[in-house]
Amino acid sequence: MQTQMTAVQVTGQNIANVNTPGYSRQRADMTEALATPTANGLVGSGTQVVRIQQLVSELMNNQIQSQNSDLGFQQGRQTALQSAQDALSEILSNGPNGTGSSGLSSQLTDLFSAFQAVATSPNSTAARQSLIGAAQTLTASFNQVGGKLVDLKSGLNTSLNNDVDSANKYLSQIAGLNARIADAEVSGGTANDLRDQRGLALENLGKLVNFSTSTDTKGQISVSIGGQALVSGRQLADTLKTYDAGGGQMLVQTATGGVNLTLAGGTMQGTIDARDNELASLQSKLDSLASNLISAVNTVHSGGFSPSGTTGANFFTGTSAATISVNSALANNPSLIQASGSAAASGDNSVALQLAQLASAAQAGLGGDRFGNFYGAAVAKIGTALNNANTQVENQQAVGEMLSTQRGAISGVNIDEEMSNMLMFQRSYAASAELLKTVDQMIQTTLAMKQ
Amino acid sequence: MRVSTHSYTDAMLGQFNSLAALQYSLQSRASTGLRVQTAADDPVAMADTLGLAAKKTANAQWSQNITTLSDRADVIYSVLQSLQSRTSRAGEIATAGATATASPGDLNNLATEVNAMIEDAVKLGNTKDPTGGNFLFGGTASGSTPFTVTRNASGDISAVAYNGNSAVNQTEISDGLTVSVDVPGVNTGSGNARGLFTDSQTGGDFLNHLISLRDNLRAGNKTAVTADSLNLKQDENNVAYQVANNGVVQNRLTTAAAYLADHSAALDKSIANKSGADLAETLVSLNRAQNGYQAALSSSVKVMQLSILNYIQ
Repeated sequence: MQTQMTAVQVTGQNIANVNTPGYSRQRADMTEALATPTANGLVGSGTQVVRIQQLVSELMNNQIQSQNSDLGFQQGRQTALQSAQDALSEILSNGPNGTGSSGLSSQLTDLFSAFQAVATSPNSTAARQSLIGAAQTLTASFNQVGGKLVDLKSGLNTSLNNDVDSANKYLSQIAGLNARIADAEVSGGTANDLRDQRGLALENLGKLVNFSTSTDTKGQISVSIGGQALVSGRQLADTLKTYDAGGGQMLVQTATGGVNLTLAGGTMQGTIDARDNELASLQSKLDSLASNLISAVNTVHSGGFSPSGTTGANFFTGTSAATISVNSALANNPSLIQASGSAAASGDNSVALQLAQLASAAQAGLGGDRFGNFYGAAVAKIGTALNNANTQVENQQAVGEMLSTQRGAISGVNIDEEMSNMLMFQRSYAASAELLKTVDQMIQTTLAMKQ
Repeated sequence: MRVSTHSYTDAMLGQFNSLAALQYSLQSRASTGLRVQTAADDPVAMADTLGLAAKKTANAQWSQNITTLSDRADVIYSVLQSLQSRTSRAGEIATAGATATASPGDLNNLATEVNAMIEDAVKLGNTKDPTGGNFLFGGTASGSTPFTVTRNASGDISAVAYNGNSAVNQTEISDGLTVSVDVPGVNTGSGNARGLFTDSQTGGDFLNHLISLRDNLRAGNKTAVTADSLNLKQDENNVAYQVANNGVVQNRLTTAAAYLADHSAALDKSIANKSGADLAETLVSLNRAQNGYQAALSSSVKVMQLSILNYIQ
């Protein structure tokens, strides 16, 4: 009866934890109790619980930890790349003039169209004012996108710091749970619940960073990241911290040892990877686009003449996406725009025409690309990376669900199964009680024979 | 395979999310008419669409350039017509003045008509573009009045000075294709566009020829009037050339405008092919996704409702 009661208690534990993350179902392993020798031979003495077994598959757990790192890596990249795409604000929509975007691409085209308008009517005040407006809209967008990308990089560094803090928390938890598991199991048995908690901490750590483990004879799991031991048995050997590798590129190293780590997976590496590759490339391309535009326009414009004969003024100021701006003197007085190729010909449009034709001119500084094509390729590159990350995340999630289902088949609780077991144990208990009652009646009958 | 109770809910939530995301995407396609909205949707199509949209915007600007040029060409044409009638009339006057039967009174009357014609011609030479406000026949030095006059004691124009230049602006009307509708008032060189009033290539010098004719008529010098008649023939030819050239340019503008309209329509089609959503296909897919979502919800509820607990009394 005690055995059945223990089995029912285990069933109750399973049912209670059906929704507990990381919980692995348990089973009361029963065995036949040792037979008692009698004159008639060995007579069975019932059953006993030899242990409460946790049904886990280390193979599945390791696969899930590894898969978590892969998923975390892609999710880290996905988050960073999605933010980069959002920063560009290149969203197609249907407007009165057909399909187009409202981002830098269309504003770049608008600038060259405005140069065309000035070339068509070089002395038109409205055309000149419109050109200044188009240029200011473009430079504001450059500044905005450039600023957003700087903010994004800073945000990704903050996210990396948060991930490092979380990883340190899990490393500390694992070391602490190692100690409690070793202490609890020193006298025999298995600390199932503590092992579940440690397993969950390992899974969560795996989402942040890829790591390797080794298990000692006491059941303690040591954790190494990038070849550096961080949890050694019950000791928290080291923790993680971020450091500036130069230019605001935050990377990860061990806090005490100061060893720079090469991470291989998890959201931390995903964030670093997207930040230092696609995002850095996008920033560089945007700055390159802005600086080449500034240079090309200024070279032509500074050689031109305004209607009043002034010359030598730059159209743009600044050197990058963050600093590009329209020359304030021109912005305040559009008649100073140097559209003419001759001081004596105020109605000449040759410089304005050259400026307009820059739209279709190959730019040596942009690898021979036109301005619009260069920017379009940069947008497509981010889109391709994000599209790939989205696909990878979907694939990894599908693999994760499959692995989770497989692990659930071993470790997960099934209510129907537990209820069936409960009925089984309940009936065994009732049968045992009935047996006891029968034995009692037999003893009573025997005792009654003396009266 | 053994299935844990939690696996049901996890799998269901995953399926719901997946189907909801699909419906969201399809609904967005149906409502916007676009298959591609961001670069991640289809990076190549996005880059192509941005390029095509930029071409379309450029086309729109070139079309606008053509409209501006056409308006200017129309104004120039009206001046040319006026000038053509005057060169023709001036030739008739010279012929009449050179005849032996013309009396001094006749010659004087003819001189008076020519004098008025000189005033009109100068005014025509100083015509402004009604939209831009610039002088049409001053070349690219359009800021100053092209023709200024010197008058004699009688108040008649005795000389005309040209303050413009012989250059004309080129304007882009298509990718790399430029055209000029402008006509300089004077071109004494060998390059650039022909001058409207004075042109060294054709020998045209209408204003000075008119002044000469007027003065010779007043002086009764029929021999000189005969020579003026020949000169005015050159002016008539020069203006006729300008009229024809204006027609050629207008024709080019019309052809370019038609090309741009066709090209823009083709670009619209290309953009639709690249990034547009096939509405019929999208709606069928959306309907299919909705059916799947309903089936998932329905089956999930049925599965979740069933348990051995329902049968334990």
